[in-house]
Formats: sequence, C-alpha cells, structure tokens
Amino acid sequence: MADYLLEMRGITKEFNGVKAIDGIDLVVRPGECVGLCGENGAGKSTLMKVLSAVYPPGSWSGTILWEGKELHARNIRDTEEAGIVIIHQELMMVPHLSVAENIFLGSEPTTRAGFVDYDAMNARASELMKQLKMPDINVALPVMAYSGGKQQLIEIAKALNKNAKLLILDEPTSALTAAETETLLTLVKEFKARGMACVYISHKLDEVAAIADTVTVIRDGTHVATRPMAELDTNEIITMMVGREMKNLFPREAHEIGEVIFAAKNVTVWDTTNTERKLVDDVSFELRRGEILGVAGLVGAGRTELASHLFGCWKGRHQGAILLDGEEVRVHAPRDAVRQGISMVPEDRKRHGIVPLMGVGHNITMSVLKRFTRRGLIDAEDEMAAIQGEIRRMRIKTAQPLLPIASLSGGNQQKAVVAKMLMPNPRVLILDEPTRGVDVGAKYEIYKLIFELAKQGVAVLMISSELPEVLGISDRVLVMGEGRLRGDFPNTGLSQEKILAAALGKQDQVAA
Amino acid sequence: MTFSSKDLRTFLSTYKIVALLLIIAVIWTFFGVLTYDADLGGSQFLTARNFSNLLRQMAITGMLASAMVFVIVAGEIDLSVGSLLGLLGGIAAVLDVLYHWPLAGTIAVVILLGITVGTFVGWLTAYQGIPSFIVTLGGMLVFRGAVLGLTGGITVAPASEELKYIGQGYLPGFMGNGLAVALFLLLAVLAFRTRAGREKHGLPVSSIPMEIARLVAIGGVILGFVLTLNSYQGVPVPVLILLVILGVFTVIGDKTVFGRRIYAVGSNLEATRLSGVDVNLVKMMVFAMMGLMCALAGLTTTARLAAGTPSAGSGGELDAIASCFIGGTSMRGGIGTVIGALVGALIMASLDNGMSMLGVETFWQQIVKGVILVLAVWMDIVSSGNTR
Repeated sequence: MADYLLEMRGITKEFNGVKAIDGIDLVVRPGECVGLCGENGAGKSTLMKVLSAVYPPGSWSGTILWEGKELHARNIRDTEEAGIVIIHQELMMVPHLSVAENIFLGSEPTTRAGFVDYDAMNARASELMKQLKMPDINVALPVMAYSGGKQQLIEIAKALNKNAKLLILDEPTSALTAAETETLLTLVKEFKARGMACVYISHKLDEVAAIADTVTVIRDGTHVATRPMAELDTNEIITMMVGREMKNLFPREAHEIGEVIFAAKNVTVWDTTNTERKLVDDVSFELRRGEILGVAGLVGAGRTELASHLFGCWKGRHQGAILLDGEEVRVHAPRDAVRQGISMVPEDRKRHGIVPLMGVGHNITMSVLKRFTRRGLIDAEDEMAAIQGEIRRMRIKTAQPLLPIASLSGGNQQKAVVAKMLMPNPRVLILDEPTRGVDVGAKYEIYKLIFELAKQGVAVLMISSELPEVLGISDRVLVMGEGRLRGDFPNTGLSQEKILAAALGKQDQVAA
Repeated sequence: MTFSSKDLRTFLSTYKIVALLLIIAVIWTFFGVLTYDADLGGSQFLTARNFSNLLRQMAITGMLASAMVFVIVAGEIDLSVGSLLGLLGGIAAVLDVLYHWPLAGTIAVVILLGITVGTFVGWLTAYQGIPSFIVTLGGMLVFRGAVLGLTGGITVAPASEELKYIGQGYLPGFMGNGLAVALFLLLAVLAFRTRAGREKHGLPVSSIPMEIARLVAIGGVILGFVLTLNSYQGVPVPVLILLVILGVFTVIGDKTVFGRRIYAVGSNLEATRLSGVDVNLVKMMVFAMMGLMCALAGLTTTARLAAGTPSAGSGGELDAIASCFIGGTSMRGGIGTVIGALVGALIMASLDNGMSMLGVETFWQQIVKGVILVLAVWMDIVSSGNTR
C-alpha cells in the first residue's frame, strides 16, 4: 500500500505555448484534507481539470499516481470510476429533475424490465439525505425547489453515491449562508473521520484553516509550498499566495462625506414566481456624496433585489421612489439608471457582467460607445485609446486589449466590468459582491479604487457577504434580514457579531 | 506534424474567410474540370458568362442572408423571409403590372411595407416576448397565404421595362470601371486615414510597403472582378445592389454603435441590458433590417422573372439561413459576418449552378446541398476546436 492516495508530480500544462501550470506537485494521503490555495489565475482550476481528465492525457506532462498506480483516465467517467469526484463552483444540477433524479443522473438504477426503478432510487436518496443531516428534504421534488445552499449539499450526496474516495470541492461555499457553510464543514470533517480524503479549494482561508490538515499553495502556475496547517496561520498563507506581505488588507483613505445626493424611499420588491412573497419589505435609506455605505446581511436577505430595484432591472413587481438630489427620478430600465448617473456592478459576473465573446476593450466601452462616434461611425482609434487608458488605470492583465474577455481570470474580468460601469461617470455606484471569486491582489485593487471614487465624491453602495470587507471599507453599514432593514450603524466600534446579530433580528440582546 | 496542423487550425479559425474561399476554389476547380469540353474550347463553368450568371443567382439569397446574419447573431431566427419576399414581390408586381405605378412609387411603397412588417415582427419578439421561431413560423404561413390571396394564385405579368432592369439589367462597361476606380480610391483613402489615426494615438501600424501590398492586392481583386464581368455584359444590377448592401452592412456591423450592440445582445443579453443598452430596440431594429432586405429581394425577384408569382421565394429562408451557417455564423449568436454569409451564399449558388450544368438530377442537388451544409458547419466546429 502506497503512502499516498493521490500523487501528482511535475504537472505542466500549456495553452498555445503559454504555461498555465508549470511542474506542480499535489499529494493527498488517505483520510487527509488538503487545502489548495492560490489567487485566481494561479492554476488551481487547470490542475483540477488535469486530474479529472477534462484535459486528456497527452495534452499535459507529468505523472499522476492513484493508489500507487499510474492513473489512466481518458474522461471524467474514468476518474469517477476510480473514486475521484469533483464538485464544481457552479452547481451542476438539472433544475427540473427531482433531487433523487439528480443524484442518480447517469447511474439510474433500473428494474429487470429496463425501466428506471424509482422506488429504489428515492429510498437510497432519502437515506443519503439523512446522512447529510437533511432528513426533511423531499427527494421527489424538483431540485429547483431548494436553495442554492441545499443544492450544494445535494451535489455532495451525488458524490457520496458514487463512492468517492477523494472529494474535490472547488469554492463550495461561495453561494452558501454562514449556517450552511457550517454544515458543510462539519460534514467534510465527518467524511474525513470515515477515511475519505478531500481537496478543498477556497478563497475563504478561515474555512481552509478550519478543516485542512495540509495546505498546498500555488502561485502563477508554480508550486510554492506544501505545509501542515498546524504550522501556519491565514496571514502566512496570504503572504505565500501573493508572494508579498499584505500589510493592510483594506487601504483605508480619508475622504470627505458631503450632502445627501441619493435616497430610496419605501422600496418593496415582490418575488417573481411567488408573487405574494415580499423579498424587500419597505426599505428606505439615504446616501451621501463621497460616502461608502456597506450593505450586510445573510444570503436571501433581499439585498440583491433591492439593488435590482434601484438599477431598474427587477423583472417582477416592485415599488418605491428613487430620489437624486431630492428629486424623484424614473428608473424603469438600466439605461434610465445609467443616464441618471447610477451604475451597478452585478453580483453574477458570468451571467450579468461580461459579454463573453467580445474583447475586453469592447466590454469596457459598451455603455458609452456613442462617445466615440463621429458622423454615426465608431472611431476605432479614439475608442482604442480610451480602452488602453482604462486597462492601464485598472491594471487589467490582458495580452491584448481585444482578447475575448472570457479568457481572462476572474479578477481581471471583474476589473473590466467595474471599468465598464465607471465609464459613464456615475454619481452613485452600486457594487453587488464586488470581490466574489476575486483573488487577493485584485481585491486590494478594487478596494483602493472604491476609496479613490469616494474621494472624488461618488456615493458607493456596496453589498457584501464578507463581514471583514464590510467593516474594512464602509463608512456606514446597513444590515438587512428577511427583506427588512434591521440596522443602520455608523462604522465606529462596529463588530462582526453586532452585524450578524442584527441580520438575524437579535439586535436587542446586543444593545442591552 | 501536430505542430503544423495546430498552426493551420489557428490560422483558419482567425481568418475564417480564407477557409471559405479555399472551399470555393475547390468547388470551382472541380466543376471547371468536369465541364471541360475540348470542342467548345475550354471549361464551360469557368467563363465570364457563367460567372455573371452565378452572381445573379446568388444575389437574392445573398440579400436575405446579409440581414439574416444579424438576426442570427442577435440570437434570433427568421423563418418568414421567403414568404415575406413573395408577398412584397407580389405587391410590387400588382402595383407595376395592374396599376402601372411609376417605378419610384412602387419601390418606395414596397420598401416601406417591408420595414413596417419587419418592425412588427421584431416588436412581437422583442417587446412581447414571443420567441422569434414562433412569430416567424406564423409569419411564414400568413405571408404566403396573403400572397396567394393577392395574386389569386396566378402569375401577374408582364412587368414594366423599368422594373425588369432591376433584375435583368447590366451596368454599361464604363460605369462599372468608374465605380471600380471610385471604390478603390475610397478604400485607399480609408486605409491611410486609419493609419494616421492610429499613429496619432501611438498605436502600432503596419509598415508602408505592407500597406501598399495590401492595397495592390485589393485593387487586383476589384479589377479582375469588373473586367471579367465587363467581358460578358457588364456588372449585373442585382449584383451591384448586393455589393452596396455588403458594404453598408459591413460598416454597420463593424463601425456603428448599433452593430456592436447586435453582437453584444447575441453574446450575453442580460449583461448588455445591465450595461444600459436598450436591448429590445436593438432586436426590433434587426428585424426591421430583415424586412428591408425582404423588400429588396422581393423587388429583384419580381424584376428578374418579369412577373409576380405566388410561389416566389419559397424556401428562400432556408437558403439564407444555410448561407449564414456555412459562412461561419454561430447558432448560439454573437458570431458572424456579412461577408461570410455572402461567401456561404456563393458556395450554395456554385453548387446549384455547377450541378445543373453537369445535368445532375434535382434530387441529387438537394442531397448534396444538405450534406455540404452539415459538412461546412462540422468543419467550422472542428477547426475552432469546439468539439466536445
């Protein structure tokens, strides 16, 4: 019996002559949890795609030993058969199929006549749900009836059902609430105790610290270090990830806060499918020139829905006044908002932020393209000069200004989306989870930019689920819970506990 | 070996148009050899006369394909264009033959109607949210029904001489030459203005000899094109119209805000909306353009046949859609060019023309065209490395 369950040695993968990863080692012992850390674009996903044979053997070099023997996997099916199961950042569920059907997708039990054996399938699925401490899930209901967090756990049930020996979790908690994250971490620990190994990929280093036995850090496609977690703390991991000391995570800068320029009055937003349900319930607030207003709350608190109303893009029923300089403005569509000087950087970058087939540059100029026209035609040179200016200013790393944006790393895509929404020179900037899925370096740059904008007098509304970020950036913090405004605190002496308590509606106990 | 094939693949996916021109070269060589006849002194396919015919044959499909490419790029489809062509051509015939309207009046009314109908179809799709597949499938039946009712199911003939000129006329040789010179000068001026602009902003420019070599090559192609056509009867009017459309639509696609937005809408509708773009208006305008092209194609069809027939344009939508796909337009939207679609139409027309010349039976022609369509898209997928 070999020492290692999985042994990846000297893995190198090139794309068009550029080395995405270069000689990376990753080893996992049976029953061990390895935290894999690295900035976006460091090569984590590439490494996992090599392991799961998304990139077939021959397209990369190096060796992979699985239980001491060379792994010959030609596709994901082969790796899953061997016992390696990957749970991706984006959920891979078929929304209209039932929970059980999703769990058994591709391996449906059949009766002797060749029909799907639903009884066996549902029974086994229910049993798995009990193992995952979710006994109240009805496995016959369509998966879309459950929240993103529950779906993530169902995804894990799917992996368990495949008898995984090695579970790879790629940013599993990016859409989970704190409670759901807790459940997930507990489960992973239980699996570990049962001898299942796992590779845990996450930007949330606290989670890594909580469950990993060993941490492997990679940077710019190369292996930096593999050390026991016991010898490390999160700051050291960050230092290794970025290759420099991160002294100040939040580059706070003094900025002047002026008069009220923006206000929302009695905003109520109803669900699109369940039209009686209020997602935002009578929320009002004011925003001042140069002020950074953080909006905290648990997932599902109605923050994104509030932002959608303010930006004119909520598809269901909604009401509430939007005031600029004390005057009510009509915002029926995003273009009205942009025209009035309100910009929004949406939460879901892939679906709502980028136009994937177009170049980085053309993404950036999208909302102000008319500015570069002369007699109705785009002056390509004028536009290109502006694009290059933005790419430099935002430090977007791209080989060419017109490279398709989809080929950039998440952090650089996000910077381009922010650049796009800053082009119209907004007075009010709404940022919905601006640093989700963004690496530490890009995060820092986005924070700096926020302060820069505040200095220039832009009012910033920042929705964020990362409490340290909310506390590190905001001048004032709004807390939402179940659609209602549950707190409005100046950011002095504010703690994560106080925000959480407010979000959960337990403000009184804290105040007392 | 693998290295060179990879290089070739990148080259072909970057310069898709080169791959398409290679296909045309292969098809033409093939028919050129097969139609070689020593008694008549050469290949019957590769003559100025046949070249002229070929271009006239592709003109109508080409007009539809030029706008269809934008419809598909925007992520929609239009199945009604063949029928709408028939209806508008029928109206043109009725106005011309039965009411003896002046040509300008007929053209104005038909174009206006085309844009109106296109806009309405676009409004139903963009603002009312009915999938374009459904709206235009309905439209296909409605328009065909309307043209049957309008003509009473019989041919409306004969068209006036003026109208016939649109479909059957040729430009006199000197005008063809004049236009060629003007076009070349325009391209040369544009090339040097672009250059000056790039230098002003400190952007990289190609060397002067390269620029000149490029212009000489373009000049050669234009010259060869016009001289060949002039050695028969001159540039056919429908071909001239198609070339103007190609120029205007390419500029719209590459150089205007509207054009850029069509591609953005097709690539990611929601992200485009959230950038402050009126995506519904963009979609509606794309269908309006499609309507305009149906009007031009309808007029040309009636003029070419010198009559309005109830079945004019039948199946035209499929030819136009096939041309777009052969020309590298992506089914999923966001990718496609007008020139690509026109080369696609030229490939289809070459197959039609060559096979008819060889006396291949109609059923075989259909089978071959169908196979070529699937093959072309397959090659496109393989060359761009998008296989699963």
